[in-house]
Amino acid sequence: MDISYNWLRDLVETDLTADEVAAELTRVGLAVEGIHAHGCDLVFDIDLTSNRPDCLSHLGVAREIAVNQDLEIATGSSDAVADAAPNLVSIVHPELCYRFTARIIRNVKIGPSPQWLVDRLEAIGERSINNVADITNYVMHELGQPMHSFDLDKLTDNRIVVRRAKAGETIQTLDDVERKLDESMLVICDAEKPAAIGGIMGGLDSSITESTVNVLLEVAYFDRANIRSTSRKLNLATEASYRFERGVDIENLIRASNRAAKLTQELAGGTLGEFINVYPTKSTPKTVESPDISAAVQRLTGLTIETNECVRILSALGIMPVDRSQIPNLRSQIFVSPSWRHDIAIEEDLVEEIARHAGYENIAAELPPVFGAGEYQPNEPREKRLRRVLADMGFDEALSYSFIDTRHDEIFETVPNLVDSDLTEQFITLQDAVIDGAVRMRPSILPGLLDAVRLNLNHQRRDIKLFELGKVFAAAAGEDSPPKEQKLLAIALIGGEIRQNKAISERDLDFYDAKGSIEAALAAVSVDNVSFIPAVVRHLRQGQAARIQVDGRDVGSVGRLNDDLATTYKFRQSIFVAEIDLQTVLSIEQAPLAYRPLSIYPGIVRDISFVVGRNVSFDDIRDSVAEMNFALCRSTTYVDIYEGKGLAEGERSLTIRLEYRSDERTLVEQEVEDVHSQIVVGVGKKLGISYRV
Amino acid sequence: MSEERNSVEAIKVAFETEFAKFSGIDLEAASLNEAELLLHEISELKILHTGKKSPIAGAMKLIGRIPPEERGSFGQFVQVVERGIVEAIGAVENGLRSRISLLKIELESLDVTIPGRRPRTGHLHPITILRQKIEDIFVSMGYAIEDDREIETDYYNFDALNIPEGHPARESQDTFYTTEGFALRSQTSTVQIRAMERRGVPLRILAPGRVFRRDTPDMTHTPMFHQLEGLCVDKGITMAHLKGTVTEWLKRMYGPDTVTRFRPSYFPFTEPSAEFDFSCFKCAGSGVFQGERCRPCKGSGWIELGGSGMVHPNVLRACGVDPTIYSGFAFGFGLERMTALMYSIDDIRHMFENDVRFLEQFS
Ligand SMILES: [Zn+2]
Repeated sequence: MDISYNWLRDLVETDLTADEVAAELTRVGLAVEGIHAHGCDLVFDIDLTSNRPDCLSHLGVAREIAVNQDLEIATGSSDAVADAAPNLVSIVHPELCYRFTARIIRNVKIGPSPQWLVDRLEAIGERSINNVADITNYVMHELGQPMHSFDLDKLTDNRIVVRRAKAGETIQTLDDVERKLDESMLVICDAEKPAAIGGIMGGLDSSITESTVNVLLEVAYFDRANIRSTSRKLNLATEASYRFERGVDIENLIRASNRAAKLTQELAGGTLGEFINVYPTKSTPKTVESPDISAAVQRLTGLTIETNECVRILSALGIMPVDRSQIPNLRSQIFVSPSWRHDIAIEEDLVEEIARHAGYENIAAELPPVFGAGEYQPNEPREKRLRRVLADMGFDEALSYSFIDTRHDEIFETVPNLVDSDLTEQFITLQDAVIDGAVRMRPSILPGLLDAVRLNLNHQRRDIKLFELGKVFAAAAGEDSPPKEQKLLAIALIGGEIRQNKAISERDLDFYDAKGSIEAALAAVSVDNVSFIPAVVRHLRQGQAARIQVDGRDVGSVGRLNDDLATTYKFRQSIFVAEIDLQTVLSIEQAPLAYRPLSIYPGIVRDISFVVGRNVSFDDIRDSVAEMNFALCRSTTYVDIYEGKGLAEGERSLTIRLEYRSDERTLVEQEVEDVHSQIVVGVGKKLGISYRV
Repeated sequence: MSEERNSVEAIKVAFETEFAKFSGIDLEAASLNEAELLLHEISELKILHTGKKSPIAGAMKLIGRIPPEERGSFGQFVQVVERGIVEAIGAVENGLRSRISLLKIELESLDVTIPGRRPRTGHLHPITILRQKIEDIFVSMGYAIEDDREIETDYYNFDALNIPEGHPARESQDTFYTTEGFALRSQTSTVQIRAMERRGVPLRILAPGRVFRRDTPDMTHTPMFHQLEGLCVDKGITMAHLKGTVTEWLKRMYGPDTVTRFRPSYFPFTEPSAEFDFSCFKCAGSGVFQGERCRPCKGSGWIELGGSGMVHPNVLRACGVDPTIYSGFAFGFGLERMTALMYSIDDIRHMFENDVRFLEQFS
């Protein structure tokens, strides 16, 4: 909001320079964002908070300046000066129009405004139209009261009826738009039809034109909530509606009307005619009780301010103490909020008024007393480590929007136990989106990550590893149940294994890179007992997809993105993704760490290669070895897998290493040989596979 | 005796003939290949002309045929010849060896400026880095970190925060709603309510998290961002504690010379309310950096960071806390904005594009 320095000084005779005024206004909560020159004037750009509609005028801002300088405000007369004209105005719906004043001014001459008025308006960014229109605008910016001038001769019967619109009624507003009205809206009518939408915009037919001779000046007060709802319904916000819906000063109407009338007389040469003031809906001034205002200030701000000074500040703001001698036995102080303040309701509001004028800069800075030990969120230490380990493995952390396009719904399989397939509506949908199509609260992080991969490929980045930790959403069963929110970990990787500062990659990434990253990530959060089971997963390519289990519970999947999806995203290289329900994983109780004493006897290892088809896995072999339960056989580890020359199509040679050790003695070759051959033969028989010597 | 001497002479001559090609070699000019070949040849020569089976070792056996009175001088003569052979070979061998090792050192010298064999490490998102840093500071000051639901009811998003129906902040059209009528939380103040309900008072919490507002993405807005809110409720808490806490935190973030400024403001859930600024970390509050108008603070010397105030009594009451006994302060700000200010990021949308060229600048 723009406020003119010269205009301000018309209202309050301050000695402060413009810079000092700006500093003072900022100090008391009217943040001055900048000062710019306009002719020989200076203009403040004030960022006003929504609770202070009383400062949407030079008068309001002048009041704030006056408080600490003990200055008087040049207010102008509030006396009603003309003859009453009881038949001029009737208010049919006083619950929407609390007060209405009308002033007739005859024989005006519509013409250009004088330069000083043009300058004033232009300084605050307003455009001059004609003298009568400019005067109403000028008085609004000076006193905060919006008003409207009608061409009296265009009002049927020359009178005003304030009522709700009738269903189906319409009005052509000043902006030349035909508006459909309904019964919730308040209209200012002549004897027949609407002439203005109350407090929002006038009608075109009754507006001031160059040929206007007689003017009816409306200055009124409307119900705030009704102005807001009409303004929303019509999608029509004006300077007037902006002020009326926030609240203007109902006791300021006559002063504003007088000021406008006087200016019209001066600048448009009219003669003042009848005046009427209809005030059917009076409200009692709001009072605030304060047992001890000085103590309240101390309690909330730590400032020590004597009661007298508290009362002085409040009074300077128009918040007047009630004379206690009038009320016997009253121990509290009662303050009456002025008619222009709509934000003073409780003692804390008074404290703020006092504190901001006494100065927040005078509040001390001290730490609260010691309370207890701080704490992170329960999973934060593990999540922190998880992030670090993934980053150390070359993954960059992504953060993507929580809302995605609905087209991903049937394409990506969600983590287990998130989506309830019994529900007709399984996902969470927004009523509307600000990014096109993104109305789905994401049930999977993967679409976001894949978009990020696509963006990076577009920027000539070939080797990409990304991870994200974040919530996904799904509908929950039960009436009114809030949606499910579950924290997941997702990764995506494409391209080659790269080194820092090396232009080309070492080798192409594959399934085992994705799996290994998940294994490392889970190990980082002390989760072991993880298994990977071949599976069919909707978004993954068959044969390169696995379900991830922790302690036998399904928690997610890992694998290569299927060809259809890869084509959709125009990925030319294989891309691998994994998504796991981190929240569930972290909730699984971990066995306490158990120390194993170090063996003092050496172990002996034997490698053996089995020839396997696609139907026998490393896990099958490892499990078979374990089932045979030889005490000396301590571990089965993977060595390598080979296919090609020397093997039939579809066959692979899978080499494993068995470690033999005793805790009691050094093993001799022969006993290892015995056990080893039993194992080799046993596994071969059990799985129907041969071995290579 | 002369016969024997002659045969020794013959041995010497024979050696010298074979050795001749080595005596003239220019070690400085020999390539590694040549030197290694020569070394090989000289070791063969060495095997032939020294050791027990060499002619000169055989010559010693002739001593039996020498009259005893001449044996001494004959023996000496053989020794001289033998030493001559050994030394000649040794000298060449040593020369070749040092030449070879010199050449090898040269040959095997590395370009130590080639990048080390270092796996490429990834990067945490700047929002994570900043959040963790701030969490560390507040945990050390006794705060508990809290988070809660991102999809909320109107009660937690508005009513409990003293934003009743009809309040402009509620009708300002910037809250996302699900088709079921739930609100995406538009501020992490919702966590204040849930934490007070769960933990009771007194308490000190810090709530970082995602929030959502219906802003179309542009340079300074995204429909999702991260907020961080602090809340301290206890007996006797005043705005002085608010100032002290925020100032202490910012000093730990930006150095001990950091100063703060509190300006009156308005938020529905606090009364009195204040916005807080801190002295610019780049220009130390001068507004000028390297002779030019400082960018983060736009030359004002102050960074406007967030909102704060004393918790509104209606909010305390909504959480079952008696405002005549307890008081509290709250403060909050946006992590994206703070990150953008710290690194002069001109387009806040980069935060959610996940462009690796952006991400890898932070660690
Ligand atoms: Zn600066």
